[in-house]
Amino acid sequence: MAGADALDLFLEELARSTDVVPINAPSRLKSRTYSALVRLAQRHGPLCTLDESKTLGGGLCVFEELVRITPAGEPPQRLNLCRVCHARILAEHFENAPIFWPNCPYVRFQNR
Amino acid sequence: MGVLASPLDSLIWMLSRVPPDQPETTTAGGPVSHAQDLELVRRLEARDRKAIADFVANHADALYSYVRFRLAPRTESADDVVQDVFLAAWQKLGSYRGDSPLRAWLLGIARHKIEDVYRERLREPDPLPDDESASVSAAGEAVLDAEIDRRRLRERAATILSELPEPYSTVLLWRYWEHRSTADMAATTGRTEKAIERLLDRARKSFRSRWEHGWR
Repeated sequence: MAGADALDLFLEELARSTDVVPINAPSRLKSRTYSALVRLAQRHGPLCTLDESKTLGGGLCVFEELVRITPAGEPPQRLNLCRVCHARILAEHFENAPIFWPNCPYVRFQNR
Repeated sequence: MGVLASPLDSLIWMLSRVPPDQPETTTAGGPVSHAQDLELVRRLEARDRKAIADFVANHADALYSYVRFRLAPRTESADDVVQDVFLAAWQKLGSYRGDSPLRAWLLGIARHKIEDVYRERLREPDPLPDDESASVSAAGEAVLDAEIDRRRLRERAATILSELPEPYSTVLLWRYWEHRSTADMAATTGRTEKAIERLLDRARKSFRSRWEHGWR
């Protein structure tokens, strides 16, 4: 029985010493990656409209919602609005940037 | 669970598993299912910016942990590798068939990117002669030694796990790397707790036998 206990302890220690330690990715990295992916998506075709995003279950930030309800047709809804938003600039350059807009992707990436 | 083809696949598989007490988060806050993976991919292919945010938020931490782990102690390129993995994944989305969890698929891409980094490192100029490299501190060497030991242990453990019969490796991974209880394993597999205990006992002995036999 003592042998079984020792083996159990050995395996527990082995797992502890070989396991990957979970680390949060820096929020700046997540922000830059998101921005790069949106740019890449745009190169392959227009983004889906804000109406479609909302239908697919994505929450819109206050600026996106404003654009969505503006009677300007579809083209503005396909723009990458984050590109001109100060939240993006802050999030790409500062870790845990002081941004708090509901449904802003860059807020989601903060590690707080 | 599929067949563990190599020690590295074992590790990737381990990493892709979600411990019961630490569910992967989604926008809904629940664990990610196969159906959710496929739904996310469908939204990504539709170029939905919110899906892109979900993609990054759901998988960046796991990818970053894995990449840093594999690149240690030289982790300065981890950020670039993680970003490259996401960009490559987006471009290859059409090849994701849903045979494995999305995270395991991403970790597979990460593995290839890391191999590219290793290849790049091998092309670097030869190290300086001993007297010129004396600036490496003793503390730095100790960290490096500890990391080498850790890698050896990890590779050995992964090799043995991949060689064991699948029920043995699964039950050991669940018990020691994912800290699952016997009751939980019994509920998952439909076996009794006694049967799981017996399986664990045989798996531990088999692991020890291989460990002692090959550890020179």
